[in-house]
Amino acid sequence: MAYQLADFPFLTTLLLCCVAGLLAILATPAKHTRAIKIVSAVFSGLTLVISIYLFIAYDQQAGGYQFVERVAWIPALGIAYFNGVDGFALPMLLLTGIVFFTAVLTCWEMELRVKEFFALIFLLVTGVFGLFMSLDLFFIFVWFDVSLFPMYLLIAIWGSTRKEYGAMKLTLYLLAGSALILPAIVYLVVHSGAMTFDLLVLMEGDRFTPAQQRIAFLLLYIGFGILAGVFPFHTWSPVGHVAAPTAVSMIHAGVLMKIGAFGILRVGIFLCPEGWQYWAPLMAVLATCGIVYGTFVGLNQTDLKYVIGYSSVAHMGIVGLGLSTMTIDGLNGAVFQMFAHGIMTALFFSSVGYIYDRTHTKAIAELGGLSRIMPRATTFFILAALTGIGVPCLASFWGELVVFMSCVRVYPVAGALAIGALAVGALFMLRVVQKTCYGPPLKKFAGLKDITATLAVPRIILASVIVLFGLFPGLLFDMINTATMQLIGLR
Amino acid sequence: MIVPLNHILLLSGLLFSLGMFCTLARRNLIMMLLGIEIMLNAAAVGFVGASLHWQQMEGQAIVIFILAVAATEVSIGLAAILVVYRRTDSVDPDMDAALWEKGGSR
Amino acid sequence: MQPATPLPNSLIVTAAALLLPLLAFGVIMLATRSRHRLSAAISIGAAGLSLLAAVYLLVQHWQMQAPLIFQAVWMVSGQMTIPIGIMLDPISLSMFAVVATISFLVQVYSLGYMAGDPGFGRYYGCMSLFAWAMLTLTVSSSLLQIYIFWELVGLASYLLIGFWFDKFSASEAGKKAFVMTRTGDVAFLLGLVLLWLQLGTLDIPVLTDPAAVGAQLSPGMITLTALLIFGGIVGKSAQFPLLTWLPDAMEGPTPVSALLHSATMVAAGVYLFSRLFGFFSLSPTAMAVCLAIGTISMLLASTMAMVARDIKQVWAYSTISQLGFMLMGLGAGSLFAGAFHLITHAGFKALLFLCAGVFIHHCGTNDMFEIGRQGGRRLKSAVVCTIIGAGALSGLPPLSGFFSKEMILGHLLDSGHPVAFLAAAVGAFLTTYYSFRLIFIILFPRDAGDAPPAESHDGHHHAGGEYSMTTVLWCLAGVTVVLGFFQTPLHDFLARTDTGVQAATPAHHSWLPVAACLLAAVAILQAWFEYGRKKARQIGWVEQIPFLADLFGNRWYLDRLYRYLLDTLVYRGVSRLFTANDRRVIDGALDGLGRSTIGLGRVIDWVHGGMIQYRLMIMVAAVIGLILFIGWGG
Repeated sequence: MAYQLADFPFLTTLLLCCVAGLLAILATPAKHTRAIKIVSAVFSGLTLVISIYLFIAYDQQAGGYQFVERVAWIPALGIAYFNGVDGFALPMLLLTGIVFFTAVLTCWEMELRVKEFFALIFLLVTGVFGLFMSLDLFFIFVWFDVSLFPMYLLIAIWGSTRKEYGAMKLTLYLLAGSALILPAIVYLVVHSGAMTFDLLVLMEGDRFTPAQQRIAFLLLYIGFGILAGVFPFHTWSPVGHVAAPTAVSMIHAGVLMKIGAFGILRVGIFLCPEGWQYWAPLMAVLATCGIVYGTFVGLNQTDLKYVIGYSSVAHMGIVGLGLSTMTIDGLNGAVFQMFAHGIMTALFFSSVGYIYDRTHTKAIAELGGLSRIMPRATTFFILAALTGIGVPCLASFWGELVVFMSCVRVYPVAGALAIGALAVGALFMLRVVQKTCYGPPLKKFAGLKDITATLAVPRIILASVIVLFGLFPGLLFDMINTATMQLIGLR
Repeated sequence: MIVPLNHILLLSGLLFSLGMFCTLARRNLIMMLLGIEIMLNAAAVGFVGASLHWQQMEGQAIVIFILAVAATEVSIGLAAILVVYRRTDSVDPDMDAALWEKGGSR
Repeated sequence: MQPATPLPNSLIVTAAALLLPLLAFGVIMLATRSRHRLSAAISIGAAGLSLLAAVYLLVQHWQMQAPLIFQAVWMVSGQMTIPIGIMLDPISLSMFAVVATISFLVQVYSLGYMAGDPGFGRYYGCMSLFAWAMLTLTVSSSLLQIYIFWELVGLASYLLIGFWFDKFSASEAGKKAFVMTRTGDVAFLLGLVLLWLQLGTLDIPVLTDPAAVGAQLSPGMITLTALLIFGGIVGKSAQFPLLTWLPDAMEGPTPVSALLHSATMVAAGVYLFSRLFGFFSLSPTAMAVCLAIGTISMLLASTMAMVARDIKQVWAYSTISQLGFMLMGLGAGSLFAGAFHLITHAGFKALLFLCAGVFIHHCGTNDMFEIGRQGGRRLKSAVVCTIIGAGALSGLPPLSGFFSKEMILGHLLDSGHPVAFLAAAVGAFLTTYYSFRLIFIILFPRDAGDAPPAESHDGHHHAGGEYSMTTVLWCLAGVTVVLGFFQTPLHDFLARTDTGVQAATPAHHSWLPVAACLLAAVAILQAWFEYGRKKARQIGWVEQIPFLADLFGNRWYLDRLYRYLLDTLVYRGVSRLFTANDRRVIDGALDGLGRSTIGLGRVIDWVHGGMIQYRLMIMVAAVIGLILFIGWGG
């Protein structure tokens, strides 16, 4: 596929912002926590600005891969430092920028080992950005692992409920996923007939036989799917999210789980379309199970973060369902839902984090009447819950609608079940909202303060993005459409 | 050659088996170490005989190597045995592992 | 008729009418929530301008010959284009006017009713949200757009029912309303998606065009999608079996009940049916189902109203019953009868609720016996307007309800479903009975000795601000009195673009109005006998039969059934099963994998550790074996 090298390496600049931020944080003495936080905010804000710029500057008429950079690294193995973004990657970059910036602002009040915390988060996000923009299989894998291992430290040190168990389980499970991805990548490269890890080269022509594609796709689907929370490989997610501190949950559920789905798309679907076709029914079944399962299990939970964790499983099921339909609309809906869910879950965890900081409890049974005590904070929570239900004019609705439309055409039963789960989803979200926010205010929470302006900023940003893309979904769909049309058009 | 190679090899073999018996059948770490020493020396004797039989100096050079290695190994081994003894008051190779863990640093 | 593009004026006016409430919502919720009077002013101003716009549009397009449609693209995905647009035709303009009027009047009324409430700003914000959503729903040009705003209306309802969220029962009622309507909406969405897949578009003119639909959909598919969409209507209009959310929704402030849960939101279901009447009439099964469910709901709800003590609940049941009645009219094949009753009902039901609000405001209780005892009859405007409203509800001439009710009864008689007609007659009798039961209880109170009063809502304050409330009451009363005489002009208006309306004028049965009035008179007499006379014990004939009293009082045990199903099937059944699966099976397998890895490590550790001499012996044996093998085996 033809591409043009960029005039100015924006993508590398984006990565360098993260790296520079990391170095700046490491250089600041640990006791100047305020300086560290400001440095973090500045650099994460820079990444947000760059990702917004890239989103706007992308030429949708031309489509294809833009802002491309390529530097050969190990020619003998065919590995190159190769970055480029298309209509799929740009929403993800934007999502990462937004969630990163708001996550940094959300932990403005953190006091425990601030330097290491922000350094690890910067490292984590570097891996994420790198993966979204990379077009070289080797680098995709490397960035995947770079974004994994800080998770262990972040959860084990700064986490809460069962943090050691959660951290260990999450990291080992996700590494197991990467242990499935690496052989698949190596298998593909070895059988490609050309010693190269270059994604675009591997995409051309019929390099892989259908049998090879099937094997590779299955490995990739499960490997990346573990990160994407595909049923039944999802149990690391609720435990991990509950154990993690707020910002880490935001980034993890908001962005890292999207890496999984994006990986299935970028590596699996791009390289192994025959495999995709073969395994699509399985994908649909697992996705529907995930949706129904996540909703029903969420009904039974007693911890706020578990509720959100299971809701994430359900929403990622919708993404998986869209990917399994093999239609233009399905892919569009899936990528839109990735974006919308990322923002929504970031808002969710952000609100719950605030509630936890003030009330020191996540148990639903102990909460109640918070709307009277902290009205502004609970408004964000309620907004996130409404987005999760799929109320129109909030971002998540459009993704779900388009996915359902494509799904009913291809897998009617799965589509009907998924639509039916909407009703149960409403029950489970509203039940949580009712138990935590409504009802008479409890005496033990009487003196708690509502959210201040500085802390409200990240939540306002997230809420605005939700409403913006809820009212004007075309902004995002047009971008995603250019990539989908190119992909499906080619096949 | 004054002594035929077979005799030397026989001596070496006997010494080796004596050393092996000492290592395997004694209930004392120091005796095990002695047994290993005997085995090493048996091998050295064999090398000397082979060197005389085929008139190559390398054999005798190897003996010097063996002596050096044996000395090093004995010193480290004895040091290890000392640590174990200090902690568990026993040089029995069949000692209970719990003895070591309970011992602490004494 | 071929749709035409509207004039720029109409477009701007409509857009303004729709967007002003949205703007009001945004401004109030973000900026002026704490400044009560400003919030109210913004909201009422927006509502008033929308009303002016509605009137302007009605006048401008009274002579319209074809529907006017304007569409823009909201979003594109692959081959699929999702449009957003407005469609102005007689039905939508009439409904638009109704919604705008009642919305405005209720917001003015709320100035008095909600005065002093700490959530005053939030109340008006949510009212504006509702106004935006409902107004846009009425003029939507495609079914998907209707669905979107249908959901938003449900959201506004949720926020307003649970307005006094300190009360657990209020938030519970809001959640119940949302989830029940959502259940219906699931069917709606499924039907909508199926239609989209078959037709490629959801524009209303296409859907109601029999030629276009018939060409691409098989009759079975038409029936299936019609029934699915009807599921949404059942949910939203609180018909059987999804009717129990509406009485609970009375937890919200009374103006909310008047606006949403009597006149407009619940009417959205019936409005959708009218909108898609051309589509539904292609499927006789769907029409029959509609008729059946309408009949069942009408009768069921009437029985429940007969034993209710809470004044708002009586009118809530009455709403369910009247919506069922409208669906009966539509199901019997008459678009105009159903639509006309929708319009008149909006007027008198809102009136009844607002009168109830005045009673509640002054007497501090919802229980009609208590209201009577506390001198409810001294509130002259409320009493007179209630009588007018109840008269319209019962179909007494010359009030508006008389005309619309006669139309529906006439159609039922003609439709060839005698059971339905009889059921409608019984329903009419019961309606009159329970309406006048309420009036007599309030007018002629008896001393205490009854069961404890029905719970009233706290969060509601002192009396005051009556001027706004009574003015609105008289406005609505006036409308009720006069609207009936507009039947013919309205009929002609609606018929201009829809030949189906014109064709379905029933034969004139001159005995029918007389018989209906006689029936109503008998019902009033019975109510008088049981409740109004000096010596009456104020216990109805139903209440004296314990079995019936319990059955009706417990809403035919529907609530219990749903609670049971929810608890057993959903919570204790599926949910617990899946959670146990997650914890024991999936996690159990994983943790087991972890433990077995550690166990394997321990086994290997055992092989390594322990008595070293045994290991040495094995090594020696292995080496000897190797030597023998190499030496002698070769």
